[in-house]
Amino acid sequence: MKTRTLTIAALAVVFLTNSLPLLAHHGTASYDTSKTVTVKGTVTDFQFMNPHVLLFLDGKDDNGNVQKWQGELTSPNHLERAGWTRTSLKPGDQITISGFPAKSGANSMWISKVLQADGTPLNPGLGN
Amino acid sequence: MRNRLTYSILGLLLAIAFAPLMFGQTPEQPDAAKARTSTAEPDLSGVWNARPPANAKLPDLIAYFSSFGKGEPAMTAWAEAAYKAAKPSFGPNSVTMEDTNDPVYKCFPPGVPRVYLHPFPLQIVQLPGQVVMLFEYDHMVRHIYTDGREHPKDLDPTWMGHSIGRWEGDILVADTIGFNDKTWLDRVGHPHSDQLHVVERIRRTAQDTLQVDLNIEDPKAYTKPVTSTMFFQLKPKWDIMEQVCMDNVNFLNFEKNEDVPAK
Repeated sequence: MKTRTLTIAALAVVFLTNSLPLLAHHGTASYDTSKTVTVKGTVTDFQFMNPHVLLFLDGKDDNGNVQKWQGELTSPNHLERAGWTRTSLKPGDQITISGFPAKSGANSMWISKVLQADGTPLNPGLGN
Repeated sequence: MRNRLTYSILGLLLAIAFAPLMFGQTPEQPDAAKARTSTAEPDLSGVWNARPPANAKLPDLIAYFSSFGKGEPAMTAWAEAAYKAAKPSFGPNSVTMEDTNDPVYKCFPPGVPRVYLHPFPLQIVQLPGQVVMLFEYDHMVRHIYTDGREHPKDLDPTWMGHSIGRWEGDILVADTIGFNDKTWLDRVGHPHSDQLHVVERIRRTAQDTLQVDLNIEDPKAYTKPVTSTMFFQLKPKWDIMEQVCMDNVNFLNFEKNEDVPAK
């Protein structure tokens, strides 16, 4: 798979990760912001729309069974300014996502990091 | 000779009579038109994006984009009750998207000055007689009339209020009243009434910096004015993009975790 190079602003990712809720349309009340969950899987849907970009993927549990996961990013407006496009991710892409897990226990997260198959990060994007 | 002298004198007299026109001065104009064209206005135009304080700690950063002023505003009993009833998505009383009653999540306009808290850029366009603010957030628009008019006597209450402005040196002083009471003052649930009165002092302090000093008064809700300052950075390469509040009908299902319920 061809590695896409994106023009990513040289911003401190750690700082951005901590302040992600700032550029959000809503708060993180549904999520446990003291924990991080990581899921590796295959993109099944990438909805590049306002208010928040939504990502759906099939992960695998320890037994190798498919586990459906979803995650939300920020507005596509911010992501575009950070170099993303509506085709930055496509169904079939192998990615790893990390973020705050849903308090309810559902397979849902507030994404703070996206890694492509080759391990290079996509900036979850706060604009520049 | 005499004819030539006469013509010369006539010519001179005509020149004197029409000198004002020759030097670019126009005859007396109505006051409104004079206010528009008499002096060049300071230039506030451009695409601007909110710029939080450089060294702010995370709690102050969050506050910068969610409320105004320092600490809790001095609320009346009416405001305290409304604040208690609010179920915001931000701040100390925040709830989930499923439980919130914040009107913006039904895609109602955010009101003024709350619109400044929604973290999307705005474009200022100056026209004769008005300064127009085009907000990326849900394509909100404000017209700040600088043609000398007063607020209408019997204002229809609106979500974004009625704004008039005048220049004090290089500062645009915008005065907004005529709000309905359907919006929240901020994103953490503080209310306002239809007596809300917002004064903004807007000034370009550097080529790439806009400063907006806010003075928020609402005698029904607050016993003291709420004051706040926001800074905006010029973004010469940015265009205002479309941002439709509920563009994705799947969004609410997502927030309810309907496709990925708890095991």
